[in-house]
Amino acid sequence: MKKRAWILVALLGSLAIINTALGDVGPIKRTAEGHPDFTGIWQPLTTAEWDLEPHGARKDAPPGLGVVVGGSIPYQPWALEQRKKNFDNRATLDPRNKGYMLGVPRVAYNAAPFQILQQAKHLTLVYEYQNSVRTIYTNGSQHPPGHIDWWLGDSRGHWEGDTLVSDVLHQHPDTWLDRSGNFHSEDLHVVERYTPLGPDHIRYEATLDDPKVFTRPWSINLILYRHKEENLQLLEYYPHTFDSEQYYP
Amino acid sequence: MRFQLSVSVRWVALALGAITVLGTSLVFGADAGDQAPAAWIPKRLSDGQPDVQGFWRTENPNAYSLTNPRTGQDGMPERTGPNAGKPPPRGPDGRVVAKTQKPSRIIDPPNGQVPYLPSAYAHQQDLYLNFEVPTKPQYVETQMRCYPSGVARQQWWNEVEIRQYPGVVFLISYASNRFIYLDDRPHIPDNIKLFMSDSRGHWEGNTLVVDVTNSNAKHRLSYEGDFSSDKVHITERFIFKDNNTYQYQATFTDPSVYKQPWTVSSKQLRVHGNDPSYEWYEYACLEGERNLDNYIPVAE
Repeated sequence: MKKRAWILVALLGSLAIINTALGDVGPIKRTAEGHPDFTGIWQPLTTAEWDLEPHGARKDAPPGLGVVVGGSIPYQPWALEQRKKNFDNRATLDPRNKGYMLGVPRVAYNAAPFQILQQAKHLTLVYEYQNSVRTIYTNGSQHPPGHIDWWLGDSRGHWEGDTLVSDVLHQHPDTWLDRSGNFHSEDLHVVERYTPLGPDHIRYEATLDDPKVFTRPWSINLILYRHKEENLQLLEYYPHTFDSEQYYP
Repeated sequence: MRFQLSVSVRWVALALGAITVLGTSLVFGADAGDQAPAAWIPKRLSDGQPDVQGFWRTENPNAYSLTNPRTGQDGMPERTGPNAGKPPPRGPDGRVVAKTQKPSRIIDPPNGQVPYLPSAYAHQQDLYLNFEVPTKPQYVETQMRCYPSGVARQQWWNEVEIRQYPGVVFLISYASNRFIYLDDRPHIPDNIKLFMSDSRGHWEGNTLVVDVTNSNAKHRLSYEGDFSSDKVHITERFIFKDNNTYQYQATFTDPSVYKQPWTVSSKQLRVHGNDPSYEWYEYACLEGERNLDNYIPVAE
């Protein structure tokens, strides 16, 4: 009995050492209020930005198993036709190409780092691509009355256990959900869920509800990875300045 | 005996004079804004920073000019009437004749002018004279292109929100945001140039001192074409005097553009202080821009 106990202890001890060596160890950091502290620089590793649905490699996209729960987006018939038109003309029609803000949730799975700064009353998310800033208010406040055409929407969050639930309303209809022409209307309602899987991983889920475009709500599911480099900081990426900056100062 | 009295009187006079001078400099030093008055004791955040979070706006918000920071349309082309669209009249020095003269934002040199080298002055004048009716891409003001504002100009356009976190201060404004890191990380490599530069700060009492490098300088400093090169080194002081006021000072050093370093100073006031529920509404400059193609008569 004693011998088995010691073996168990030794096993657990080695696992702890192995875990430490891998870096993803121990409890998640918490704020003074006891919530997970998401402060840091994060980045997704999926190819959802190119195409949310499962897709093979294309000239303009790396392949991906897809992040849509259930595989495909439940478009209404007219919307499926529109998505095909978008896809066929994606090189010219994607609003990203004009440097426009990406919208939610596209900004969350864009293939670039973003930084989270966290206080009790809100989380500030700064996305390196376009250096756009988004605030998820966790102070109990409500959405302002709408509809408002905001490019990054209005985000109101609350905690359900260790999950940050962020309710997003008031989005401009002209953003796309990826580079493949997936789209929505001004009625889009997104509920994000940020759940820590450990100190260095967040499961990101988002449910998209838009009765004008889809037959039912649908969800995406992907992982956000914490950057571990020392002294990492966001740099700048303002696409709309590239063509003209030669003329300045 | 008389000699000894004279000596002691002289020493006393010297001592009194020194104390007077010292006392005067302490009083006027505080007014000139080098030091925050010791009277204000701010709330402290968990890492010891003075809590200066909230919304701030300079008392004279505009980016038209450093030397005459007037607001409104004063000195701009008239929109209606027989002179509509024509450049406003200029005085003999080439400067627009504005009805209002506000004190220059520049406190050093004392003449309130940017101490340009001759070739740099020629560039600034060229931009200045062509701002109202841009016929070339370089004459289009950076704000029209929705460029980020650069660090100093961010303080003058409109509201700036300060958010503080352990080891970092984050400033948000229309079209621009910047991180001021308070830890001991080095600046980023010199060949990376940023609109909002790279900032390393530390608190000296109630003053945030910031070392700013890596500017790409492409935002320019005013509608009148004031500018730096991307070699500029800026030192800022955010001097918090009380819960509702700070003095913003920035010294620009760039021997490729200026004869000597020069310093701006502006008063910044807390706004929306009585409204804790006040929030940013989204500013989508680029997405809302429709006129840029019509702004330049000549194709780029």
